[in-house]
Amino acid sequence: MATTAIRTPAYGAEYPGEHGGLYSWLATVDHKRIGILYLYTALGFFIFGGLEAVVIRAQLGAPNQHLVSAEFYNQLFTMHGTTMIFLAIMPLSSAFFNFLIPLQIGARDVAFPRLNAFSYWVYLFGGLFITLPIFFAVAPNGGWFGYAPLTTKAYSPGLNIDFWVIGLQILGVSSLAAAFNFLTTIINLRAPGMTLMRMPMFTWMAFVVQVLLVLAFPVITIALVFLLFDRFFGTNFYNTVSAGADPLLWQHLFWIFGHPEVYILVLPAFGLVSEVIPVYSRKPLFGYPVMVYSGILIAVLGFGVWAHHMFAVGMGPIADTFFGLTTMLIAIPTGVKIFNWIATMAQGAVRYTTAMLFGVSLVGLFTIGGISGIMHSSPPADLQQTDTYFIVAHFHYVLFGGSIMGIFAGIYHYFPKITGRMLDEKLGKWHFWLMFIAMNLTFFPMHFSGMLGMPRRIYTYDAGQGWDLYNAMSTIGAMIFPIAMLFFIYNFFKSRRSGEIAGSNPWGAGTLEWSIPSPPPEYNFAKIPTVTTRYPLWEGKEPDHESARINAQEGKTPHELGIIIPYSTMKPLLVAAGLIIMFCGLIWSHVLLAVGAGTLILSLYSWLLSPLEPEHS
Amino acid sequence: MKGSDRLRRLACYAVIAALAVAAVSCNEAHPNTTLVPHSDFGREIDFLWNRLLLLGTIVFILVEGALVYVVFKYRRRENQGTPPQTHGSTKLEIAWTLIPAVILVFIAVPTVKTIFITQAQAAPGSLNIDVTGHQWWWEFRYPEYGVTTANEIYIPVGRTVNFRLRSADVIHSFWTPQLGGKRDVVTNRTNYLWYTPDSSIASSVWNGFCAEYCGSSHANMRFRVFTVTQAQFDSWIAGQKMPARFGAVAGPTPPAGGQIPPPMEAPGMSVPAGANAPSQTAQGAAPRIARQSSGTQAPGGAQPAIPRPQTPAANPGAQTSVGGVTPSTGAASIPGALPAGYIFPRANIPDYAIPHTPIPADLKFTAGLTGSAARGKQVFSGAACIGCHSIAGNPAAMGVLGPNLTHVGSRSIIAAGRYPNTAAYLALWIKNARKMKPDVLMPTLGMDEYDPVLKAKVTSANGGLTDQQIADIVAYLTALK
Repeated sequence: MATTAIRTPAYGAEYPGEHGGLYSWLATVDHKRIGILYLYTALGFFIFGGLEAVVIRAQLGAPNQHLVSAEFYNQLFTMHGTTMIFLAIMPLSSAFFNFLIPLQIGARDVAFPRLNAFSYWVYLFGGLFITLPIFFAVAPNGGWFGYAPLTTKAYSPGLNIDFWVIGLQILGVSSLAAAFNFLTTIINLRAPGMTLMRMPMFTWMAFVVQVLLVLAFPVITIALVFLLFDRFFGTNFYNTVSAGADPLLWQHLFWIFGHPEVYILVLPAFGLVSEVIPVYSRKPLFGYPVMVYSGILIAVLGFGVWAHHMFAVGMGPIADTFFGLTTMLIAIPTGVKIFNWIATMAQGAVRYTTAMLFGVSLVGLFTIGGISGIMHSSPPADLQQTDTYFIVAHFHYVLFGGSIMGIFAGIYHYFPKITGRMLDEKLGKWHFWLMFIAMNLTFFPMHFSGMLGMPRRIYTYDAGQGWDLYNAMSTIGAMIFPIAMLFFIYNFFKSRRSGEIAGSNPWGAGTLEWSIPSPPPEYNFAKIPTVTTRYPLWEGKEPDHESARINAQEGKTPHELGIIIPYSTMKPLLVAAGLIIMFCGLIWSHVLLAVGAGTLILSLYSWLLSPLEPEHS
Repeated sequence: MKGSDRLRRLACYAVIAALAVAAVSCNEAHPNTTLVPHSDFGREIDFLWNRLLLLGTIVFILVEGALVYVVFKYRRRENQGTPPQTHGSTKLEIAWTLIPAVILVFIAVPTVKTIFITQAQAAPGSLNIDVTGHQWWWEFRYPEYGVTTANEIYIPVGRTVNFRLRSADVIHSFWTPQLGGKRDVVTNRTNYLWYTPDSSIASSVWNGFCAEYCGSSHANMRFRVFTVTQAQFDSWIAGQKMPARFGAVAGPTPPAGGQIPPPMEAPGMSVPAGANAPSQTAQGAAPRIARQSSGTQAPGGAQPAIPRPQTPAANPGAQTSVGGVTPSTGAASIPGALPAGYIFPRANIPDYAIPHTPIPADLKFTAGLTGSAARGKQVFSGAACIGCHSIAGNPAAMGVLGPNLTHVGSRSIIAAGRYPNTAAYLALWIKNARKMKPDVLMPTLGMDEYDPVLKAKVTSANGGLTDQQIADIVAYLTALK
């Protein structure tokens, strides 16, 4: 269990065989370090996307304001959505996938460590590619949904949409590579005895999410290829002028991706909360098999509901009926999850740490988002709701109240495991309560502004429309978020340096990742554990205890233990760089295209010819 | 624990706030509310909404109640040992799978019914209106009557209106919140939406919006719906059918329009700086006449509009930046000075339907100019205007890219609801539309004005207009009632 030895749990040149400093990060193939890179980068983008929202809310705080121009406002809301979805929530989930999946299933790394590094670098470069244009006021401005024909060359001749199309394509490469990697990891690298139905719920939800990614991302890829061809090579998939093109093709393709994407965003948070709530209730997750099945069911149904984003486009009564009913059905497995979380807490011994507060708030807030979701599952009712602020309220309860609250629960819960030190609970509670108040003050009034007729995506509105009060409330709420985040940032860096030493299992949790030191050694498990139960540290039998004892030992090098560790290499970084340069060539010059393709091919060639790890002796 | 108390209190506040606001939102301070429907379509939706709200509220209270109860009840107590390690309960799982399913049936059945009712074909004999969405304005055609107008529609109460929705460019969405749900206006397609305005809302005006993001000025793509009596509608149609009144070949005399005393024509052209003081003596009588002429009791329904003075109180920026334009159409004998048919009285237009958008601070107009409609017609016909705008009765003006201006003087708004249609705003609009409304297609025309899209100054070489010429055009356009 917890060790009393005081040492610096920083990721410097801690691992033998690794170089220290910057190079150790550029060349790392360790899933934990890559997870940390994801965490920092995604938090950076989260803060950036949040600042965009602050400007948006400042503009809408009162009628007829002109803080930013219409054009820049449109870039802001497009980038707020794009940033939060693709650059913040998804990679924050990835940070946890990376860090936790191998630890939870008792593995030493992911299946393809170098591919994992490649995923991260592509994400970082793609994120910069799509974000930097806003500093030159040429950021994407077609909305995160990019409806054709507005996004075709005829109506958006500038570079703005080019950055968006190409940027999303790049990010798709990252997501797909990561998804295949995690799928392989979860299927193949589970420790002995770790059957599927003994997997921790986070890993289960991660597994479901990877399946969603693998099935949904090809659809957006194709949709984007069509749009890219329309824009660059004059094809006619969504073009309006020529006969045969159909702008609704874009909408269908986009939402076949876009709705599963919602579950890609929220299921990891569900998984995290399913770890957090049992730990602080000191009870196993209630209805584990039902939680697994409901997660799978949500994913399956998630592919059959996409057109509920399109009830106003005039699909006809049959389609509206079908998609209305499937959407209602999806409420059932989601409701089951809510009830099971509540039942997990019931009769428990619940401790309200910051992590638990975030976790419980997810249950309460997501419920609100779920109820408003049912309200627009009814197509005729949705005709008054769609494209109004009611929808904005709904999906912020789902994605902020759901995903972000869940991710913060995860951060507070796993920070000790990641860094070896505890986050400050007092600052954490300030962070939680400010965020909880800000969240409700910002988004709850939007239900009303929406039902009172305020359309979405408007950069201004006239006085006397009956929306002033609710907009003022939302704006005040939005201004509280930065304050809450300052508490978090301060807490994060302060605790990172001088927080209380955590020990291997500060929360008294029951799953495998808490059986190893914090931060975990490079090889994770000195001895691959044998698992006999869902919570080996709570209810484990002798094999569990024995592996826990061995794995709790600190300070052993992989060499001492005879564990083979993959080589560090910058080749994944180079391949990613080549890929980005190649895509940049589409926008700026064909020379770049050739340079990028050359870099990509050469570094990939050299990657494939170099061994992953020293030969086994 | 202190934090959880707050959680409970917040949850209570949320419920109370929800109920309170739901009650409040029915009052008149919310002119675009979806919760007070005024058509058959709106009521169908409202029925569903009420059921959804009721069931949603019950579920909210039960679930959040259970959560809050558990949060408090099962806090860890001092020295509490390991709680009972239960893993689940099949009975409970079945229960909370079935209960939501049953609730959903009560939503699904009326939903499906309503889908088929509201998406049936419009009843025969409906009034057809062809709606074309443009970036960023609305074109409305009455195919049975050959009438084309922009950003404002008149519909008779008690009769089904069938909107046929098309787009000239990107996807828009047609929405009048108080009259029913929205329907997208999709490129390469025709969509349909019909509703029957209630008879009780004759002589009302409703805000309409574009609800699908369509580019820079998506926020500035609004419209107005005037619900009027059948008689008023007939008179309005009769007026709109005629060619432009000013300087055109004289059409048939309007049903009842010619007898209005001359001073009534001009007040609408007073600048915003005119404050509340009536600029013309006869204006004091205007509100009274306007009241008489509005409403359902008007037998012929053909009373002309009485423009009312602008109320610049809500628009402080306007006072300093706008110069005076006093368009003069000369004597009352000029036919265009009089509306050809019924026009919704400006005095009766409620505040929520009068745009309050401030004027760009750096846009000025020479004070005290008097425009001549006759000169204005000439300038208009020789300037870039005719490339985009049609005026029936002016053979030079045949353009189709912009709004049809045949009866532009009868409209209450310009720039798709961004500004009121008064001489002062119109003058600034013609001078530099692109400063008035982001990325609008209408070019900047004022001499020496900076065009923010072309990033160049307008000169006489590329058709720049002097303030005097603009004042003339304004006089001409305002005469087109």
